[in-house]
Amino acid sequence: MVRSSGLTDLVGRYTTDPDLPLRQHAYQSPLRDERVAAWLGAALGILFTTCFATGLFSHLHQHPLSWLPVPARPAGLYRFTQGLHVASGIASLPVLVAKLWVVWPRFVSFPPGRRIADAVERLGILALVTGGIFMVFSGVANIAQWYPWRFSFTAAHYWTAWVTIGGLLAHLGAKAPITGRALRHRKSRPALAEADPVLGTGAEGRHDGLDRRGFLRTVAAASGVLTLTTVGQTLPGLRRLALLAPRDPADRPVNRSARNAGVLESAASPAYRLRVEGRVATPLTLAIDEVRALPAQHADLPIACVEGWSYSARWTGVRLRDLLQMAGAHPGAAVHVESLEEHSPYRVSVVNHLQAHDPDTLLATHLDGEPLSPDHGAPLRLIGPDRPGVNQTKWVTRVVVL
Amino acid sequence: MSAGPVFRGTPPGPRDGPKRGPLFWGSAAAGWALILWGVRGALHHRIDTRPGQLARFLIGGALAHDLVLAPLVLLAGTALARTVGGRWRAPAQAALLVSGTLLLFTYPALRGYARALHNPTSLPHDYAANLALVVGVVVVVSAAAALVSASRR
Repeated sequence: MVRSSGLTDLVGRYTTDPDLPLRQHAYQSPLRDERVAAWLGAALGILFTTCFATGLFSHLHQHPLSWLPVPARPAGLYRFTQGLHVASGIASLPVLVAKLWVVWPRFVSFPPGRRIADAVERLGILALVTGGIFMVFSGVANIAQWYPWRFSFTAAHYWTAWVTIGGLLAHLGAKAPITGRALRHRKSRPALAEADPVLGTGAEGRHDGLDRRGFLRTVAAASGVLTLTTVGQTLPGLRRLALLAPRDPADRPVNRSARNAGVLESAASPAYRLRVEGRVATPLTLAIDEVRALPAQHADLPIACVEGWSYSARWTGVRLRDLLQMAGAHPGAAVHVESLEEHSPYRVSVVNHLQAHDPDTLLATHLDGEPLSPDHGAPLRLIGPDRPGVNQTKWVTRVVVL
Repeated sequence: MSAGPVFRGTPPGPRDGPKRGPLFWGSAAAGWALILWGVRGALHHRIDTRPGQLARFLIGGALAHDLVLAPLVLLAGTALARTVGGRWRAPAQAALLVSGTLLLFTYPALRGYARALHNPTSLPHDYAANLALVVGVVVVVSAAAALVSASRR
């Protein structure tokens, strides 16, 4: 028990009681009530869960498991899931800020807790809040290609996602009774003044400014405006509205330029060869003209970046499965595709047996009828259905049959 | 944000908080299993995750929110409540909230950090001009909504 003294009075003035949503004299706003917190929490829970599920799918693409091969169809699945991942993350920014604002007095409640359960709950909230802020911040920074850190974005974003989703799950269980009560139909839930005399009486009185419904609508509007001004980077119908998107699909963007990859010379060199090796009957070594002389195929496929932008294009090149057949690889083989790029985590990508034998998986030489530019992966780039852009390896020089 | 009745004295309500049943402890156990899995992964893959720096970003993000963003929002809310009253306060709050989150999102593009990569397809727009345009639309729509709701009363 805290004894009354000058110090505790002072602390008490700037902190809140953990048993109440807030002490009115410390943080007055009719918007800080449990119904608003519950609605925002539910929205954030849905957005974060969507991000987590689509993020896991993206992780599975980039770190394949042999016992769970990613299918090659539908061809636009990754485009959809990763577009949704980034859009949900962007839309969660206003909801997260609003939610933190509504519950902020809780963070400065004093004393912090009286029971073991309080400590367990608060530590879980710490994981959720620090993780949630980091996930949204690092995601927004990453799509704008801002890297104020030296760790690997994908590794940090991935492992922190587990911390965040764990914090969310623990929080869900702790708040389920309150959220359930708050989200119940108007007729069957108690009046605010009844549920919480201190807060409710103030909250339900008349005042200028946004009421609770207006506040929630404003947060929804903020998410809506952010979505409308960015989602055109993956949805062609909204491309003209994508004023704040970090990429414009009309430019046929790239994530890594040939210059940054350090392949300008090797990709244009007459010594360039494509090798098909590994578990094959006849290893192949082909100059680029020999590759171009092989029967060309077309495939209309999206290129979908992990950063959430995508566009559909017509790719022309030689089918990977035709090359594998020429080399006498066994049907059903998976392959590694290697780039000229030397120092990149994406130098090699795995093409599983489903993707390698898909008729649309090409080593492309042309994009929309034009020869590939160096930035797009000339002389050869891998393009296949339902694959993240980082796995559509550029500047391909070697195919290793596993 | 608005001035209301000031509460003083012992707050009413249950002193022991809500009851903690199997749902609380079950989800806490499952949630903590996931949290520890994440922490284990971050420590295990330390070459990629740089746990020390990652921890600084996690704590730094929370502190940046609590010590910079939250006080700024409180100040902006207080200033707005003192200067704008009546039917204009709600649309002003709404416009400020939407514009503020737009600014937060656009900040890295405004600063143009991606230009260090010399990738001509990164940040293709004039983000300051586009942000001003979108904020302008938000302000006009908020004002129009206020006028429409006023005329209905």
